Amino acid sequence: MTTGIKPVLSMREAVARYVPDGQELLIGGFAFSDPTALAHELIRQQRKRLFVMKTSGGVLVDQLVGAGCVERLLSCHVWNSVGPVAAHCFRRALERGKPNTIQIEELSYGSFTMSLFAGACDLPFMPTTPVQGTGHFTQRTFMPQKFGVVENPFGGGPVCVVPPLKPALGIFHVQRVDQFGNAQMFGPTGEMRYAMAACKKLIVIAEELVDTEVIRERPEATVAPGFMVEAVVIEPWAAHPTDAYGYYYRDLPHHALYGEMTKTEDGFRRYVDEWIVATGNHAGFIAKLGKERISELQIRKEGW
Amino acid sequence: MTVSATRFEQMFLTGARCIKDGAVLFVGFHWPMLMARIARRLHAPNIVIVYENGIVEDRLTPILPTSPCDLVSAEQATTCAGSLETLFMWLASGRVEMTLVEAAIVDRYGNINTTAVGPYLQPKVRLPGSGGGTELSSLGRDLLLVSASVNSRSYPERVDYITSPGYLGGGDERERLGYKPGTGPKTLVNPLGLFKYDANGEMYAAGLHAGITPAEVQSIFVWPIKVAADYTALPEPTAAELAIIREELAHAKKRYYLMPED
Repeated sequence: MTTGIKPVLSMREAVARYVPDGQELLIGGFAFSDPTALAHELIRQQRKRLFVMKTSGGVLVDQLVGAGCVERLLSCHVWNSVGPVAAHCFRRALERGKPNTIQIEELSYGSFTMSLFAGACDLPFMPTTPVQGTGHFTQRTFMPQKFGVVENPFGGGPVCVVPPLKPALGIFHVQRVDQFGNAQMFGPTGEMRYAMAACKKLIVIAEELVDTEVIRERPEATVAPGFMVEAVVIEPWAAHPTDAYGYYYRDLPHHALYGEMTKTEDGFRRYVDEWIVATGNHAGFIAKLGKERISELQIRKEGW
Repeated sequence: MTVSATRFEQMFLTGARCIKDGAVLFVGFHWPMLMARIARRLHAPNIVIVYENGIVEDRLTPILPTSPCDLVSAEQATTCAGSLETLFMWLASGRVEMTLVEAAIVDRYGNINTTAVGPYLQPKVRLPGSGGGTELSSLGRDLLLVSASVNSRSYPERVDYITSPGYLGGGDERERLGYKPGTGPKTLVNPLGLFKYDANGEMYAAGLHAGITPAEVQSIFVWPIKVAADYTALPEPTAAELAIIREELAHAKKRYYLMPED
């Protein structure tokens, strides 16, 4: 963590420099602000054996799993929330080991939030609300210590606790950023503020690079002050097909198209070929979506 | 001419009627969102809805969101906060008066499975997982479960995986493990009718929709479910109510919701 001007990288450079095979990586977004453009670039560069952490898995995690990029996954759910329909690649991996087996560890959204909060504050653990008796409390895979139970030192019975989660690297989508890395989000923020602070190294993918004077107009929207940010990627529409509050809506037809195409392994490969590989980069992906769709989804809000 | 509601449509009315005007609600994804929206249009315009991502919605949004994170849900928001606020400061603290959660697979004691059917490590059917469902069920007061299913597979005696805790094994197990008194499922609505939980945490039928018999209910649930001797015959929607329910279902379809018959 440093102050000063931060490197502005292309998505290709960011992945090449920061995400080698086997990387432990927390990906931001909670079914909105999911940085799908990052997943596409990880697939283009054929990353393997990643340890992916993401609260809400969604289409983004489904693609990474389907493309064979993931070895371990920590999540609180993975689905295609339009319909809703199943995250087909996720199901194939866990039910049939296709294209490869993955190890999964699960937390509820609340306990994931508290684990990140403990990590963000560098606390030894955080109490959380009861999880005892649930499947995630008893089923433990690669994080056998994901929950503990302590006696309330102030009296009053058992308390469920979670350890601090400190991902080696976090990559998050935000609405805008300045050259110093001051990153702003608008709308709901889910667990994002605590998740960003929990990561040992933080990269933000922004819809736009703005002047610091613009950042100063809405200081309460800064979710990561520049000193927390290592590098910046500017990638418009990076969160498509999820939404970016104030910038664009969720793309329902594309979620449906993805759900339909990925019902079979062949269909998923076709999706990857057509929408990820052949497009070359995210600008190519957006060009393939077409101007008409883009203008339907775009939100224009003045005077943030 | 009277047009009678389908059982699925009837479910929305029965659930919506459980919602009091002016209440603060925590609403989970899918049918509970549509149910709360219908309640807002029928008799409860002043409800305040909290979603786990941080949104507080106090009036009808122009567009039905496909999920809480479809941010047309924030179009009318009075607050956009985060998950520490929603799950802990508002839900855990008891500031939220009622919680609605979907219960696709639910057992005798109100435990919900949205994770895996079959062995966890070799699932026959892998489902999405918890999201905030665990907290909605562990913390929600006046907890209302919603299931659109009338398939026996949705009502096993014991779920394979407890994603969202009901009364666990029944009795006082929930309180012994540290869950707060007053939490735990209070009601379930489905196309058959309205169900309640007895002192042991076991679900029983308390009210049935028109044309549903106790025998039909018992044929769908895998365990021998009790039907209250004095069960209520639940009222059918009026033409005006049914028109609103159908309008919202048509809206949902346009928003890519899959309908049970699809």
